Amino acid sequence: MNDAADLTGIRYSYDGGVSWALDGVDLTVQAGEYLCLTGTNGSGKSTLARLIAGLAAPDAGDITLLGHHVFSLGTSDGSVASTDSADKNGSATDEDDSPDDATAGSTAESGFGANPAEYRAARRGIGAVFQNPEDQLVTTISEDDVAFGPENLGLDRSSIGSRIDESLNAVDMAAHRFDDPTRMSGGQQQRVAIAGMLAMHPSMLVLDEPTAMLDPAARAEVMRILDDLHAQGTTIVHVTHHDDEVSRATRVVRLEHGRIVADAASSPSAPVVSAGQVPSAISTKQSGHIISTEHRSPVISTERSERRNLPQATTPEDFSTSLRSARNDDDMASGNNTTADDAIVVSHVTYQYPGADILALDDLSLTVKAGEVVAIMGENGAGKSTLARLICALEKPQHGSISVAGIPVATDPSVPADSRTITAENPDGSQSHHIHTRRSPRTLGRKQRETLRRTVGFVMQHPERQLFADTVAEDVAYGPRNQRLSESEVSARVDEAMRLLHIEDLADRSPFSLSGGQQRLAAIAGVIACRPKVLVMDEPTASLDAAATARIHELIRTLRAQGVTVLIITHSFDEAQAVAYRIVMLPANASDRGSSVPSVARAASTSNKFAAQENRGHREHGSSSVAPEQYPSAGPVTQSPSIVPVERSSSVISTERRERSNLSSPDIPTDSVQRDITSTSAHPARAASSFIAKLDPRVKMVAFLAMMFTAFAINTPAQLALGAALVAGIVTASRINPLRLLASVHMFLTMFVVMGALNIFFVRTGTTLAQLGPIPITDDGVTIAILYALRFALVIILGAVMLETTTPTELTDGFGSLLSPLSKLGVHTQEIALVMSLALRFLPTLGAEAKAIADAQAARSGSIETGSPTARLKAMTALCVPMFAGAIRHADNLSLALDARCYEEGVRRTHWHELRIRPADLAFATITVIYIAVLVALPLI
Amino acid sequence: MSVSSHTTNTTSATSSRPDNAHSTGVADSGRWSTRRIAMYALFVALAMATSFVEFPIIPGIQWLKYDPSGIVALIAGFAFGPAAAAIVSVLGFVPHLFMDPWGTLMAVLVALFLSVPAAIIYRRNRTRNGAIIGLIVGAVCALAVAIVGNLIVTPIYAHMTVAQVAALIVPALLPFNLLKFVIHGVVTFLIYKPITTLLDK
Repeated sequence: MNDAADLTGIRYSYDGGVSWALDGVDLTVQAGEYLCLTGTNGSGKSTLARLIAGLAAPDAGDITLLGHHVFSLGTSDGSVASTDSADKNGSATDEDDSPDDATAGSTAESGFGANPAEYRAARRGIGAVFQNPEDQLVTTISEDDVAFGPENLGLDRSSIGSRIDESLNAVDMAAHRFDDPTRMSGGQQQRVAIAGMLAMHPSMLVLDEPTAMLDPAARAEVMRILDDLHAQGTTIVHVTHHDDEVSRATRVVRLEHGRIVADAASSPSAPVVSAGQVPSAISTKQSGHIISTEHRSPVISTERSERRNLPQATTPEDFSTSLRSARNDDDMASGNNTTADDAIVVSHVTYQYPGADILALDDLSLTVKAGEVVAIMGENGAGKSTLARLICALEKPQHGSISVAGIPVATDPSVPADSRTITAENPDGSQSHHIHTRRSPRTLGRKQRETLRRTVGFVMQHPERQLFADTVAEDVAYGPRNQRLSESEVSARVDEAMRLLHIEDLADRSPFSLSGGQQRLAAIAGVIACRPKVLVMDEPTASLDAAATARIHELIRTLRAQGVTVLIITHSFDEAQAVAYRIVMLPANASDRGSSVPSVARAASTSNKFAAQENRGHREHGSSSVAPEQYPSAGPVTQSPSIVPVERSSSVISTERRERSNLSSPDIPTDSVQRDITSTSAHPARAASSFIAKLDPRVKMVAFLAMMFTAFAINTPAQLALGAALVAGIVTASRINPLRLLASVHMFLTMFVVMGALNIFFVRTGTTLAQLGPIPITDDGVTIAILYALRFALVIILGAVMLETTTPTELTDGFGSLLSPLSKLGVHTQEIALVMSLALRFLPTLGAEAKAIADAQAARSGSIETGSPTARLKAMTALCVPMFAGAIRHADNLSLALDARCYEEGVRRTHWHELRIRPADLAFATITVIYIAVLVALPLI
Repeated sequence: MSVSSHTTNTTSATSSRPDNAHSTGVADSGRWSTRRIAMYALFVALAMATSFVEFPIIPGIQWLKYDPSGIVALIAGFAFGPAAAAIVSVLGFVPHLFMDPWGTLMAVLVALFLSVPAAIIYRRNRTRNGAIIGLIVGAVCALAVAIVGNLIVTPIYAHMTVAQVAALIVPALLPFNLLKFVIHGVVTFLIYKPITTLLDK
């Protein structure tokens, strides 16, 4: 048996046989092969990959994986012909276990169906990696994450250790062994996820679009690792849309409508033409035309002809009626240069995320003229999303001014709202007289903010995550309703927006029943329905297929023809060329300034043409600090979009940061400097293995909780002194900087004050010190206020020390171990501990998402703080439903990742972190017991 | 698909089938399937996240704060049963244990008495009425626990006698908790249907 996988007569239906996602697939994967599965969305390739990985069983067919005969069920009658498999499944992300009526596979047929024992055995030799890197991570330290699989296999500690070493080395992540993978870039996360699979020594690795969420540089890194693994003999099955990825395979299998339509050895010179899900994969430069497959895409033509078309306003008739009094195209085309026509003016803006070590944006200036379409490009971490959020008033800059459509989003007294003014008046750009007034820029009042919300539309990353209503039409209507328009106006807006995105037929569907691409279009319609004058889109076509991408490009062209200003953030140079007048390149950081464009050029699969433009961009603007303002006159009439590198005037620390962190909540900063610091801030316990940090987590937890609960028994100054002495000792032994500790408890300080005040008012005994109206302030009251506040402070400090010196893994290991006696009572303690650990892992993720959703709904004028109770409830729903939707989406992905790591209910697991009671633990426990005894005894003496 | 088989009160009749036809029989079926573990984990994470979003809803009474985490426990109970409600109620507050031990204990008890009775009633009667009755019964239980709990816990934090706290029941504790459970109930009621659609997907 030399085959890695052998599948015959496979049929698979998500809807109980109405349609077939896979219909009669026969496929043999040879051991050592590098096989690529391609096909359009809904072609069944992800489903097939899941079957090959042993993560799901088909409705019919015969499967042998790594020599294990896992599934056999005679082919059913086959009377239900394959009709349309595309619609239901949608994008690969959404292909989870759909509701199946049970009939599909259970009719009387030959074969044994799924054989769990064989599946279990096969799965141990198969690794699976999925699209979304983050959802595959189960914990917050790389080595623990890698150890999870081997633990589930029941390996002993020394083997787990050596497997962690070799796996992290294989993906070049050994240096990040103790870092938090959830704070890494997507590429690094995917490498950790691959390491987690390698640690289980799979002979076959199945990857379902592992690079879909990655930027081109990270993608190349992952592809190199796959090449290495293949060279070492691992069988690779790789689902992908990218031509360049396909060309690496030794064999390419193409699916369409659930059937294999092509199966051939691959050669780099003859790449298989794919539908090109990601625009950058489409080789427009060679052919001049995008090869559209079965999808209708009339608007796609070369970017050149399109641009020439624009001034003649050759947009379809039915759009001409729409939107507000559109600005004159000719006026735009002639490059009117007046300030009044500037839609977005960003002037010397500096922004730093709270808690971040580096500046997200450093002295950035940029002007976008009304009616202009500008593409913002740049590497991950360049601050593209930050810029979008600043323009939409979702963040406040620390310095600099921003105005959007004349609304002063941020006004910095030291920076004029329009930097061109100063250039005119002070050609040398001298601002010295402003420097002394460097304070925080003034931001919008409520009324202005409401105006801004009506003026600026914001399509956040993954806008489909903001969908919440029962029907698409209801969801689209949310923004217009929040603007308190009449019902007839609302429905006109909704119809128009849906028409612009060609989703009229989806009006009455639940947004959650749609495919990923349809959801994206519906969500964008929800923004368009607000009729923004300025539209900011953050990677609107990321991980969309060609058809949906084409619709979004068509939308942008239509809006452009109507005079809407569009700022589009994109990673795809082709996309930027296809829709934008002008490309603005944000440098990754100042230290890269000289090479910023080349690095993006590399990222955007470089071409000579690109390099030429890059040179031109540099030549035109030389080293001038603020280039964009000089540009607009040439913008609309230029033949090809020009690249304007935006430079920054001061340097920032070179860092690698993932783009999504820009959306993170200020409370949960996910920015991190990966290159220089081995996450000292994230895991102080690792850096300083103090006495307290080294304690057994079980002992530590129980002892700390005992001390915390009993601290409320402190009632005398003597007891307080004892408690304070103990806490001081613990803080010393934990070697945490007291200032850091203070910072972590500062939010409780106000609470102490409030509670102290309360006690002062309630205590009436003792000598009256002062009279506050009718309330006497007594010395007893003051004493008690101080005592209560201080004893509570002790509790808070103990808790902070506990959390600072204990990793989430240790916490949950200890938690699970403490619970384990309950397993004798039938409680699933191992599972509960895993739930706890995964919950802590996903807490920051959900926090960041909640923030993003709140921002997105706020951009549609939704607010739970104002309006009628009904409107507030609606706003609450608009926040809650997407949050639950996000949680469920993560859970669906996570469950597959758990399967791939061979976790099973009741599986005998080993533990990489050994819990052992040492003498130090006994000593600490003894001290705790003595302390509590003395605390109780003190008042009795 | 054990997870969603209990959630369908609208589309299909409650199916007793524990998993789907595409089960391999390994970890994807049964009471603690990986999907169920993942769902519980994400609901707990959601409860944790929302439990940090707390704001006083009655001006002047600082320590009575509304946090939406109860909604998560209620939804978990409706979707996955009383055990899920209990897990979310307890684990969702664990991060607070090391900041506010007694307050956390009370919050856990209130969440349990709110979501578990609601889940039990809804499990027996999977209709709109069942949901409404469940929410009301849960709110009444939780109200009782919240008031008793406050009588015990408040004197630990503030130098007040039980009698002094009791004096606050009518002016503060009762209206606050009532308002809180009404918001919980109404929001749960409004968002449950779209969430079921998602779970059934």
